[in-house]
Amino acid sequence: MNQPAEYKTRINYSKTRQARYISHLDTIDIISKALRRLQLHYAVTQGCHIRPKISFGPPLPLGHASYCEYFVITLLQQPDAESLKTALNRELPQGMEVISLEFPWIDKKSGAAGEQVNYRLHFSSRQTADLARTWLLNPETAFQGMRKGETRSYAIGKAVQKAELVEADSDWELQAEFVQGLADVPSVSKIVTALAEYLGASRDDFYLLERIALQEI
Amino acid sequence: MNNVTASITHWELLEIEKPARYLGGEVNQATAKNNPDLRVCLVFPDLYDLGMSNLAIKIFYETLNSHPQIMAERAFSPWPDFEQLLRRKNLPLYSLETGTPLHDFDALFITLPYEMTFTNVVNLLDLGGIDPQWRKRNKGPLVIAGGPSASNPLPVAMFMDAILIGDGEEAIIEICETLIKTKRDNTDRQGIRKELAKIEGMWVPEFAAPVKRRVFKGFAESTPPVSPILPNVQTVHNRATLEIFRGCIQGCRFCNAGFYYRPKRERPAEKLVEYARQLLQNSGEESLGLLSLSTSDYSQLTELITALDQQKLYPEQNVSIPSLRMNESTLNLLDATPHIRKGGLTFAPEAGTQRLRDVIKKNITEEDIISIMRATSGSDYRTVKLYFMMGLPFETDADIEGIVHLVRHLEEIGRTCRPRKQISISLSGFVPKPFTPFQWAAQADISELRRKRLIVCRGLERGGSKVSWREEFLCLLESVLSRGDERVGELILKAWQLGCRFDGWHEHFARDKWEQAFAETGIDAGTYLRERQVAETLPWDFVDFQVPRTYLEREYAEAARTAGEADNESTG
Repeated sequence: MNQPAEYKTRINYSKTRQARYISHLDTIDIISKALRRLQLHYAVTQGCHIRPKISFGPPLPLGHASYCEYFVITLLQQPDAESLKTALNRELPQGMEVISLEFPWIDKKSGAAGEQVNYRLHFSSRQTADLARTWLLNPETAFQGMRKGETRSYAIGKAVQKAELVEADSDWELQAEFVQGLADVPSVSKIVTALAEYLGASRDDFYLLERIALQEI
Repeated sequence: MNNVTASITHWELLEIEKPARYLGGEVNQATAKNNPDLRVCLVFPDLYDLGMSNLAIKIFYETLNSHPQIMAERAFSPWPDFEQLLRRKNLPLYSLETGTPLHDFDALFITLPYEMTFTNVVNLLDLGGIDPQWRKRNKGPLVIAGGPSASNPLPVAMFMDAILIGDGEEAIIEICETLIKTKRDNTDRQGIRKELAKIEGMWVPEFAAPVKRRVFKGFAESTPPVSPILPNVQTVHNRATLEIFRGCIQGCRFCNAGFYYRPKRERPAEKLVEYARQLLQNSGEESLGLLSLSTSDYSQLTELITALDQQKLYPEQNVSIPSLRMNESTLNLLDATPHIRKGGLTFAPEAGTQRLRDVIKKNITEEDIISIMRATSGSDYRTVKLYFMMGLPFETDADIEGIVHLVRHLEEIGRTCRPRKQISISLSGFVPKPFTPFQWAAQADISELRRKRLIVCRGLERGGSKVSWREEFLCLLESVLSRGDERVGELILKAWQLGCRFDGWHEHFARDKWEQAFAETGIDAGTYLRERQVAETLPWDFVDFQVPRTYLEREYAEAARTAGEADNESTG
């Protein structure tokens, strides 16, 4: 029997504004519904509970905006990138937007030891941004975080590779590079939560964090 | 107009459980209209996760937003963490669409789906910057409620400018048109209430005139909501809901919904198939759920299920059919329709003996359940769920022991099935609701309900069935809140002042606070829980429910006769 042709496609999207407060699982649900509404022909898993053949990128922590989210779907029709992008964008909630499609997409064998993640951290005050930069760039910075329901001690160590302060239009940006996913290296989510705690009363000056790039290392 | 959400910081939102509940922006959300003549907010007095599954909200949202002059938005009860944040920052509760404070709307339409939301209603108003008592309000939105728990409107009368009794589809447009006109004419609040009182089904506490339950006669020809808002947070019923008919012909004597939604009105099968297509296309939900009080009574069930089974928009699509009375023909039908979801087998015998099932007019026999269990041996149906009530009128201990005998018998049969069936039992105290033939019956007290529950639990200790039950005090409270008069409003207000919220959620229900509220208001629950004489005037008699009182009296007498005859047979 002839197998239908399969077109693996990577769809890159952003999560900003109120959509950054939608959890990863709810995001999957929202995207799955959007794909069904478009009545796309996609490959499904075999078995009694049929699921679309779709895989999502690593979960984005709640509250983080991102311009580098993605999912990979196996379509049964060759996609027209522009029209699919336009159609999908009509079906997404406010703050979620398809940026681009990559087709054909070939999965790379992952031998990744971790990820490098680039962020823009936005501050409304230069003083707070400076304080944050110093805190982030000190490998000795220690903090506590939760892991599997237990409090654990962490040190920044090599988690923060770079943090440059840039004056933007109406605020101050820390352009930061993190690594995560390595043993004993705290995740970005844990680091920024601890940073907000460290900033105390000034934490609201640190009002937005945007993930701008993610790369396996 | 200020968007309240702009005053909440990123870090504050991250301290809240599921912040997406409070931010709107979902797919199919209505777009803001420029200067609409009327701005209303549809308010659901429970969590977003529940309210977004509520059909009334979906119906009114689509109906009102398709009207060129009306903008309808939504608000839900905030979970206590978000309430604390709003109170700490002195921010009002707001609508999800535009972040508008509730006090800035022209009207609030509050759905009352169950009595345990009443303290949430008071809380919502207070959080929205609106005095909870209508007599103390001289500005701000008109507060109008409706829904099955308002069928006896007296307990919530002190909070509402007006209450709609019955179906809302037509009335809500009439209400809005009245509000548009009175707004244009600059009519004062009392004048507006006077105008609202002229609408069929509307009861205005200020005038307290007799009222007739509103029935939406055009239901069968009406279009259901087919473009629902798609929640950004998973809801309790994660499926597209299609109401196939309204009303029920079963006539169970304990069931308020069975009388509230009368008469039975069916949408034609061919139309439902088309609505289902639109609904799935617009929602992308994996599952389509058919909604009614008793799906088996739908006259074109085979045609409908067969057509829905064949209409497949996407590969993972399935149809779920709750409220299906299982029998051999239903099973055959389900077997022939591969895309209809096979859940567990659910039965609601409600009573443990045939005698009591006849008394309450529950049309199910032990043989029905057994034959289905046997017929489904070797199939995917592995779980059997059974619902029982305790404290029913004319109930004896033999009926309670009957629950034990019935379940033990079913356990034996379940053990012979391959794979074995897992049985779970849900027990609840009976609440005699207004406008049912049992409205005159006494509410069984806590110790009696507890004693009966223990008989069942002990009797089933070793059988392997899972038994769950509803806390007995909740049943009593529900009884007071549904059978009460205006004074019960004071009780609700006091309970809210003492901190009661989310009374339907076991993690938030505070029995001690409710007991304190009873004590401080001097309200004796017994007044509302006692048996009533058929000759006496009931607090809710001013509502013409379109079910004659004489019919309810006859049914009550018939139940007594059935109980008496059965007793005589067993003793004779």
